[in-house]
Amino acid sequence: MPETNILTTIGLEHYLVLSAVLFSMGMAGVLLRRNLIVLLMSIELMLNAVNISFVAFSKFNNNIEGQIMVFFVMTIAAAEAAVGLALAVSIFKRFKEVNIRFFEHLKG
Amino acid sequence: MMNMGTTPFEITINVIKTILVFLMMVQLVPILVWVERRGSAFIQNRFGPNRIGPLGLLQLLADAVKFLTKEDFVPDKGNKYLFYAAPIFALIPASIAYMAIPMSTPLIVGDSKFLIQGFEVNVGIVFILGVSSLAAYTILMAGWGSGSKFALMGAMRAAAQIVSYELALGLSIVGVIMTYGTFNLSDMIAAQQGALTFTGFGSTFTAHFLPNWGIFYQPLGALIFFASAFAESNRLPFDLAEGEAELVAGFHTEYGGFKMLMFFIGEYGHMMIASGLFATFFLGGYNIPYTTVQGVHDWLMTTFGLSVDGANIANTVVHFLMYNVKFLILLWIFIHVRWTLPRFRYDQLMDLGWKTMLPWALANTILTSIVIFAASQFAF
Amino acid sequence: MTDAILFWFLALVTVCAGLSVILMSNPIYSALSLAMTMVGVSALFVTLGAYFIAGVQLIVYAGAVMVLFVMVLMLFDLKHEIQAFTRGKITGAIKIASVGILAGLVVGAITLGTKAIEAAKATEAVAGKTYDNNTMSLAQNLFLQNVFGFEALGVLLLVIAVGTVALSRSRGGTHARD
Repeated sequence: MPETNILTTIGLEHYLVLSAVLFSMGMAGVLLRRNLIVLLMSIELMLNAVNISFVAFSKFNNNIEGQIMVFFVMTIAAAEAAVGLALAVSIFKRFKEVNIRFFEHLKG
Repeated sequence: MMNMGTTPFEITINVIKTILVFLMMVQLVPILVWVERRGSAFIQNRFGPNRIGPLGLLQLLADAVKFLTKEDFVPDKGNKYLFYAAPIFALIPASIAYMAIPMSTPLIVGDSKFLIQGFEVNVGIVFILGVSSLAAYTILMAGWGSGSKFALMGAMRAAAQIVSYELALGLSIVGVIMTYGTFNLSDMIAAQQGALTFTGFGSTFTAHFLPNWGIFYQPLGALIFFASAFAESNRLPFDLAEGEAELVAGFHTEYGGFKMLMFFIGEYGHMMIASGLFATFFLGGYNIPYTTVQGVHDWLMTTFGLSVDGANIANTVVHFLMYNVKFLILLWIFIHVRWTLPRFRYDQLMDLGWKTMLPWALANTILTSIVIFAASQFAF
Repeated sequence: MTDAILFWFLALVTVCAGLSVILMSNPIYSALSLAMTMVGVSALFVTLGAYFIAGVQLIVYAGAVMVLFVMVLMLFDLKHEIQAFTRGKITGAIKIASVGILAGLVVGAITLGTKAIEAAKATEAVAGKTYDNNTMSLAQNLFLQNVFGFEALGVLLLVIAVGTVALSRSRGGTHARD
């Protein structure tokens, strides 16, 4: 295998590492933040990171199936955002704040 | 996606061309403002700006100078960064989307080929829709950054309206996409040449008295697209975002001077995108009715005795003029409607978008797909 | 060379915007940065040759989902956040450490995995599918091979729409009747 320059030759690894970095950032957001909407946004970030790796695999393996998966992920992300925001709005109406600690009051 | 050419000469020309298209868009705005003000005066039986220069044409120049010399301020309770960023971001999506609309036949001189548009995108429709949907952010940023109740209310209304009507707009285009079987705007225009011809059911029908325009294949789609284009560009009768009687001026209540002017350019840019897209989808783009691009080329060569290159250049110029005629007529319709129709109420607007336009756009999609399927499967 | 510059630029933009999503204490800045990330990801899709997916990403994520987020946040008008980040230094440290471990694991898995892929590629010739007519092959795959998943997603969206309306119409929602 010929030696390639990591800075000038962009391969699958670059996209995968970028995707991993974004995924970890999303996970850090989910773990560290307390605002419900920021949590939802972090989940969106994680889903986007996964999308990057799907498309990268699709490109480098010459297989269109990866892009189909991206479609499905996008639809599910949109659905999840809609429900999550509806929940956030109903929490905000009650407590005037969207902190995650109010979630336990939703039961009953 | 973007083919900027191979030789340095082509790349240079393409870069210059991109800047030129942007400048064209920006320079059209003052003229449109003048047309709008004079046109509204004409409709309302008054004079309008007629003092500075011939027919008041230099009013625009005076306006520009006035805008530039105004004080640059930020509201006390506003958010400085968002307040400054919003007008700049208002320009970007509009100009990028506008550059992707083809304005004339490609100019072929020798071996070089230049597209008369900023850049060509293979999935042109999706690109334009996607980029212009980013305009909602500028409105929200402006509304929230102003720190004013009226601005925020206007921004909320505008953003909700843009997101709602984007559905109807997108679905009305699906019929067009299925009819032509392509996302590429240039291919779409190429399919609309000549007289109305319909191939299907095992035979070909030709109507020589009609041009081969998309509006005859997709009348319902054209209607829905036209109506939701008004809502997308926040123009009357859907300009709830401004609603002078209720919200002072909507999301740009707190803006003045040059920043206000940039919002203006963005708004007119969206109008131009809507007009350009309508012309491209439904009115044959730069095609001259009843003829083909090649036909005009041959006619130019035989009538004026031009060389191939000369005929190519003349052909491009003629088609560019044709595109602009359609484009300007549509823009005038936008302006005329603004000064003719009253404003909707907000619940009426949402009802119209979700309960009327969306179902009809879906019906149009289903009907189109059934017809296309039947035309390809069955023969009389 | 050009695609390398493009990739590094886009990666920088995406990572910076992604970092500001989780570090900004004002949720509106977070949401706007996330919108920026979406645009960056869409541009990355373009560099990967997935034009249609890039457009859909712009329309769906940046144009609709994130606008929804920003609108809801601006409606709440949270000027300052009382508790932006997690409480407790020790739990926070543990969480950050776990994220770091995850990142390390993923990057390690990638480096191992790509070697395996290279090896697999060396043994079997990749099927000669072309990317010329990207959108058409995408549609054919979606509607011929994955039509069941597509329909299932339609049902899911319907359920979600009904559920969201029910949720926001219940007591405490924006359309409260009481």
